[in-house]
Amino acid sequence: MPLPGPRLRVVLFTVVGAVSVAAVLSIVLAFAAPTLPRVSLSADSLAPRPIEQRTGEVVSHDYAQAWQDLALCLEENRTDLLDDYFTGEVKRRLAQRVRAQKASNLRTRYSDGGHKVKAVFYSADGGEMQLEDEAQLEVRVFDGDKLISTSTAKQKYLVLMTPGSDRWYVRFLQSVGDNAF
Amino acid sequence: MLLRILTSFCGLSFALLGAHSAAQEPAITAPKNVTAGTPFAISVVGQGKGTLYLFGPTQAIKREIEFGKDTPIAGSEASSAGIYQITVCAADCVTKVVEVQPAAPARLGFLLHPSRVPVSTPNAVNGTAIAFDQYNNIVITPSEITFRIAASGEKISEKTVRTVRGVAAFQMDSRPNQGTLEVTASLATASEPRVIQQVASEACGLRMTAAPSGATITLQTDPIRDCKGNPLPDGTIVSFIKVDGAGKSTVDTPIKKDRAIAQFSVSGPARISVACGVVLGNEITWGGR
Repeated sequence: MPLPGPRLRVVLFTVVGAVSVAAVLSIVLAFAAPTLPRVSLSADSLAPRPIEQRTGEVVSHDYAQAWQDLALCLEENRTDLLDDYFTGEVKRRLAQRVRAQKASNLRTRYSDGGHKVKAVFYSADGGEMQLEDEAQLEVRVFDGDKLISTSTAKQKYLVLMTPGSDRWYVRFLQSVGDNAF
Repeated sequence: MLLRILTSFCGLSFALLGAHSAAQEPAITAPKNVTAGTPFAISVVGQGKGTLYLFGPTQAIKREIEFGKDTPIAGSEASSAGIYQITVCAADCVTKVVEVQPAAPARLGFLLHPSRVPVSTPNAVNGTAIAFDQYNNIVITPSEITFRIAASGEKISEKTVRTVRGVAAFQMDSRPNQGTLEVTASLATASEPRVIQQVASEACGLRMTAAPSGATITLQTDPIRDCKGNPLPDGTIVSFIKVDGAGKSTVDTPIKKDRAIAQFSVSGPARISVACGVVLGNEITWGGR
C-alpha cells in the first residue's frame, strides 16, 4: 500500500490530533462536572399561587443540585458541600449525620435514579414551596472499605424550599413512609 | 444409582448451606414505627456478637452488640423523623427499616406578609403556619391552627385552618382603618403572634393653595388623606412642580402633620402642580392673565 503524500499526512495528523484532544477534553469534563440527578417537577394543582415557568425550572435545577451535593457530602463526609443549596434545619441535620459517620469511619453512597417531584404548596407571597418527592435511590453503606448494606428502593420525601437571593434552598427534607402521600 | 447419590448429596449440601445461613444471618426484631423521641429496643435473635449500625437523618451509630439481648436506642437518638436503617453484621449483614414518625405538634413556624400594607386592599395579607413537634419535625398528620385577628378599632375575629402536610395558610383583605394588625397563630400550647402595620392608601383629593410671600410664593396642601379618610404618614414625599419662564423645577417635600409645604421664586407667569405617589393634585396658574 503506497504511503499518503505529505499534504495528506498533515491533514490526517491534524484530524487525528483534534479528535484525540476532543476525546480527552470530553472525558475530563465528564469527570469534572458530573451530571445532575434527573428531577421531573409537576405543579398542576399548586395552590394558593401558581408557579411561573422560570421558577419551576430554577426549583428543579436547585433541587437536583442539592441532591448531588447531599450524595457527595455523605460519601466523602464533607460538611462544606452543604453550604450551597441547604439551609436551616436540614443543613444542621445533614451536618450532624456527616459528623457521626466520620466519627465511626462510615460512608453512604447514593446512586440517584431520579426524582418525581410534585409541588403541592406555594405560598401567596412566594416565600415557601412544599414538594413531595418520590426518589429512586440505590444506597450503599460502607464501614471503612467494607460494604455492609445495599438497598434499592423508592423513597418518599417531604420537602420545603425557600428562595434566597439567587437560588432556592432546601430547608426541610423529611423522609416519610410509603403511605404518606 | 449414581443419580440418586448425586441427588442426595445435593439435597444434603443445600440443607447444610441453609442451616449455615440460618446460624450466621441474624434476624432483627425492632418496631416498624416509632414516635420521635421515644426510646425503643432492637434485638437480634441468636447467640454471639455482632455490630449494629443505625442510620437516620442525624444519626450514624455503630455499636458492638450481643445477640439475644436487647439493645436500647435512646429517645434522643431517634428524635428526627424519617426512615431509619438498622443493619446488623456478624458473618453476614442483614438490614431492617424503622419509620420514626413526628411527635405531637408543639411549636409553630409562622410567617405573616407583608410587614406594611395599604388599607382596604383585597387579599393583601397572607399568613403561612407550619406545625412542628418539639424536635423540629414537620407534623404531617392534620391538625387545626387558629388564627386570631385583631385590628385596631375592630372586634377580634378568628379563623381556623386545618393543616395539609403540616402547612396551613390563609389570605385576607387589609382593614379599612390604618393601624396595627395583629395575627396570632395557635396550635395546642404553641402560640405565635405577628404584627403588621396597615398604612393609609394613596392620597385622595390632593389639593394645594398658593399665597405670595415677598418675592416668593408659598404652596401648602390641605391635609392629605386617602379615600377612607386615613391621613398619609409623615415623611411621605409630595412633589410640587413649577413651570415658568426660567424653565421647570421640582421641589420634593415630606408631609409634616398631614400637610406638605414648599416655597418657589417665580419669574413671570407660572403653572404649578402637585403630586403624591401616583396621584396628581390640582394645578395653579400664577401671575397669568
